Amino acid sequence: MDKLAKQLREDAANIDAEISAELDSRIRASLQNVKPESSRPPAARPPWFWWASSLTGVAAALGVIAIINLDQPGPSPQLQVQEPVAHIVVPEFDLDVEAAMLTSPLAEELARLQADLKRAEEAVRNDVRIDF
Amino acid sequence: MSDELKLINSAKGGSVDAFTELVYRYREGLFRFLLTRCASHADAEDVLQDTFISAYRYIATYDPQWRFSTWLYRIAIRNAGRLRKDNVAELGDVSDDSSDPLAHCIAESDRHNLWRNAKRLLSDEVFAAMWLRYVEDMSIRDIAAVLERSSSWTKVNLLRGRRALESELNDETQNPGSEAYG
Repeated sequence: MDKLAKQLREDAANIDAEISAELDSRIRASLQNVKPESSRPPAARPPWFWWASSLTGVAAALGVIAIINLDQPGPSPQLQVQEPVAHIVVPEFDLDVEAAMLTSPLAEELARLQADLKRAEEAVRNDVRIDF
Repeated sequence: MSDELKLINSAKGGSVDAFTELVYRYREGLFRFLLTRCASHADAEDVLQDTFISAYRYIATYDPQWRFSTWLYRIAIRNAGRLRKDNVAELGDVSDDSSDPLAHCIAESDRHNLWRNAKRLLSDEVFAAMWLRYVEDMSIRDIAAVLERSSSWTKVNLLRGRRALESELNDETQNPGSEAYG
């Protein structure tokens, strides 16, 4: 043993670690009140235990399903969708104006405009012929 | 089967007397170690008591591949750590040189006790590793198991701790009147 190890051992022995009578009695009293916990696995079940357990589980599940179905009062009511009610009230305007009647298609409108243009051109030619 | 293993098996069977015999074998060494680790003498006593109670309650989990002391020290270090956390949580840092149980348990004439220097120089874990190695003669594997560290960590830190203490020892030899150890 080298010098350091020897001194460490000696110095540790010089630390006073006397156990008092009070501490000794405390420890012994505590141990009397402690029961070691068992680490043994639970006892093996007999083979029929698992069959009985499975059957019990299936029976319980069937019972719950039956109770849920019995408690339902007849066919489920159909949902009645109510017609949406128009809540928007359009105010009545008293403008005294006739609504524009745009019944003609755009093609007819274009033909009329072209005819108006032709008439305007003829009128201009007539006026020029008159002037010269 | 060793005498100790017979006692352990009897304790596993619920024999308080057998466990009490084990308590008598280990209590002094364990208490000495706890005095270096706890904040007060009373804390060391409480941890010692809790350690033996826990050991007896869970003795069925003891694996004989380990030394019984390895198992006991592991429980003790855990209990001491838990108590320290509780103290810090309740009272703040309670470390105080005036209440250091180690200072009270070392005679005045033995002021140069190396373990006082070790406590000053080393971290708690390295201190514990040094103690388990040089006082309890534990193997590297057992120390690593107690501290829940790797064997590599244990080897490296034992070497570092040893170097730190050797350096102190050399300084003390060269300067015998130095107050460095006070």
